[in-house]
Amino acid sequence: MSNLLLILILLPVLAALACFVVRASAVRRLVVPVTGGVLAAASVALLMQGPIEPWSPGALFGLSWDLIITVLDFALLGVIFFYGLKLKNVLIQLFTLAQIVLLAVFEFVMVEHAATPAFAADNLSLIMVLIISIIGSLICIFALPYMKSHEEHLHLEKSKQPQFFFFLVLFLGAMNGLVLANNVLWLYFFFEATTFCSFMLIGHDGTEIATKNATRALWMNSLGGLAFVIGMMLVYNGLGTLSLAAILSAGPQGALVLTGIAMMCLAGFTKAAQVPFQGWLLGAMVAPTPVSALLHSSTMVKAGVYVVLRLSPAYQGTLLSETIAICGAFTFLACAALAIGQSNGKKILAYSTISNLGLIIACAGLNTPLALTAAVMLIIFHAVSKSLLFLCVGTIEQEIGSRDIEDMRGLYERMPRTSFIAITGVLTMLLPPFGVLLGKWMAIEAAAGSIWVIIMLALGSALTVVYWARWGGGLMGSREPGKPSESLPLLINLPLVLLCVGAVVLSAATPVIYKTLIQPMLPGVGPAVNIGIGSLGAFEVYGLYIALGAGLVVAFMAGRRAPKLRKVAPYMGGANLGLEGSFNGPMNQPVAFGAGNLYLSEIFGEERLTMWVNILGAALTVLMIGGGL
Amino acid sequence: MKYLILALIGLIAAPLAGGLLAGIDRRITARLQSRQGPPIMQAFYDVLKLFGKEPLALNKWQIICAWVYLIGAAASCVLFFMQSDLLLIFFVQAVGAVFLVMGALAGRSPYSQVGAQRELIQILTYEPLLVLVFVCFYLATGSFNVSDIIAVDKPLLARLPLAYIVLTYALTIKLRKSPFDFSTSHHGHQELVKGVLTEYSGPYLALVEVAHWYETVLILGICALFWTTSWYWMAALLVCTYFLELVIDNTMARMTWRWMLKYVWGVGLAMSVVNLIWLYAG
Repeated sequence: MSNLLLILILLPVLAALACFVVRASAVRRLVVPVTGGVLAAASVALLMQGPIEPWSPGALFGLSWDLIITVLDFALLGVIFFYGLKLKNVLIQLFTLAQIVLLAVFEFVMVEHAATPAFAADNLSLIMVLIISIIGSLICIFALPYMKSHEEHLHLEKSKQPQFFFFLVLFLGAMNGLVLANNVLWLYFFFEATTFCSFMLIGHDGTEIATKNATRALWMNSLGGLAFVIGMMLVYNGLGTLSLAAILSAGPQGALVLTGIAMMCLAGFTKAAQVPFQGWLLGAMVAPTPVSALLHSSTMVKAGVYVVLRLSPAYQGTLLSETIAICGAFTFLACAALAIGQSNGKKILAYSTISNLGLIIACAGLNTPLALTAAVMLIIFHAVSKSLLFLCVGTIEQEIGSRDIEDMRGLYERMPRTSFIAITGVLTMLLPPFGVLLGKWMAIEAAAGSIWVIIMLALGSALTVVYWARWGGGLMGSREPGKPSESLPLLINLPLVLLCVGAVVLSAATPVIYKTLIQPMLPGVGPAVNIGIGSLGAFEVYGLYIALGAGLVVAFMAGRRAPKLRKVAPYMGGANLGLEGSFNGPMNQPVAFGAGNLYLSEIFGEERLTMWVNILGAALTVLMIGGGL
Repeated sequence: MKYLILALIGLIAAPLAGGLLAGIDRRITARLQSRQGPPIMQAFYDVLKLFGKEPLALNKWQIICAWVYLIGAAASCVLFFMQSDLLLIFFVQAVGAVFLVMGALAGRSPYSQVGAQRELIQILTYEPLLVLVFVCFYLATGSFNVSDIIAVDKPLLARLPLAYIVLTYALTIKLRKSPFDFSTSHHGHQELVKGVLTEYSGPYLALVEVAHWYETVLILGICALFWTTSWYWMAALLVCTYFLELVIDNTMARMTWRWMLKYVWGVGLAMSVVNLIWLYAG
């Protein structure tokens, strides 16, 4: 067991160092896939072993690991403070300095250093490790050819890839540490480590806009870090323990402890980019696509929802729980609305991520076994589908030089393979029988007893349909029969195909995932769950899956006839010229026609909505913290 | 066994009923406009004729989308007759609705593109209302399952009057009837080009038409859930509702999507909320 944990956390660190120190690209091309493979295998092995009781590693060269983590913690805060000075950002300096002071007080005055087990893992942790290690690794592998052509586009004199892969791979180790940590101080260290990695990755290209957005990400997440420290102190003050397992088994406690928990949830909110903190994740779009994919699917934002979900037993049945549900539902609705007004593919993906994270947090706040099941389902399936979509956009962008969905109209003609995968990805985000929809369905059933949450979910869910359907349909198009398909490099093709197959096949495994992974960890699996699942019927719908699957096969068989049919041109009101895409205009001149999506920007435009969304989001967040008191 | 028979009824009887209803619809509409109108079976003749035409399509996506639209609509109808979970039924019909739009987007004709965008706004408008109506069912009966909803001993209309009105809004939009029919129109100054349906022709248009019959039956089925204690009253409710739809269709002018979104969301949400609060308090 200890070996597996070491592999999962320390191997990425070593691999990252290897990428950084040995700058040759051949080394990267060897180290990254091998590390990915080992991580994936280790995560599966850990799953096979099952949950880990709270456990501490021994000492390293006679030094206790607790001490090493403490030292690293202050070092990391020092580095962040240094960047705060370098960027001349007062907020970063302020938040980091406050963290250093408070952490020093906490570590040296408050905490009585009794041995606290550093690691523990229940099924939630194991699921997270799987997501991080498998999806994260695939993204890192995808990044190898991607970054090569990315730098060719930029005409860099000196490659920055060693640094890039250093932080990319390191991120995986930090995330694994985060989800496996039992000692709150360790959790905090890994939490900060992910903040720093994401900051470095967002600012990677070094352009003015990249630096600006990286700075914003850093100050927002530093605020989260500060909230975490305060929360940690309040909780310790009330319960006298650093062990997460002990805190959770204690259940909801007095007002001060609950406020502490609320502060830690606030830290989760900033990391998961909930409104009003969504700005940093949108800004993070300037980073190279693998970074976006990593931040949005298997790391960073998932750390945020993980913390909120992890703490759910500690606020169950309190006002805090209800307010968390409302905050999450509001984010779900607001960001789905904002996504409609966008034509930038990456921005749509970003808003949809935040929206889905809101849904997960709303489920954590609803805090019933059904809702928690929905939350875990959403985490899993969102990670797969969203990473797939980001990688598709990255591939498309390198080919057509744009990430605007208007430029992707009829892309099937040019990039049939990528378009097909992207359309599949869109469908897995949107429709039954795929997992994301199952999660949404469970969330709606779970929220039926909570009037404001259900209204926001109903509206948000409809908004979601618009932006996905529009995009998926737009990618479809005509294509000359017998034209060769586009060719993709192996290391790009492989992650795309694996993720695509994974997104489809995993959905069919939903009942297995539920039975073996989720059900055992839900507290009080009794009649409540059985009734909940029974009314849901989610796990007895194999018949439906088979029917829909068979239907799709029929549809595709029918679609194969298309090349044999007589070719027709689109309808132009009888004014076709015989030229594809143009009609007979004034003076008998050919006029190219154009059609664009309706973005409903007078209602859903970013500049119209953002201010109000932020104000409401901030008010709700304050309400949430107040809900603890 | 019982469910298998119910499923078969849903699969076979629903489109027949839907087609018949389409014929009656045209007949009554004609009478309202002082015309004679086609025979009641005209809708079937039309579809049979379409099936006999040469299959033409712009690309394979369109064919796939037409088929999936039909499959989604049929599956949701079958699920309804099997008395399954309302939310599941809702999501499965959404499969069909989404694919119809995607098929229209796959064609390069500006008319079908505009129609698709408008159809999306129609979906956006009715979807939340349907979900909230289902939540009303849940609060009134404690279950999302059609089988449990049928089992109530008093007509649900008494407890969900506002939800019923909300549902009729959704019905009008889903059936693409005036004042909410802008996704299946409009070519300059005539009605020959049908927006989202522009690029579907021949057998594929026939598929779309049959799918539409399934959808009509599904929505009327949901309306029927409001009065399950007596067959007579259920029939009376459905006849009145559909007739009302026809009258509205023939007396109202088409509206813009802006008006629809603001008005239907505003009024629909308000009524749903009032009915929901009523149920929560009760």
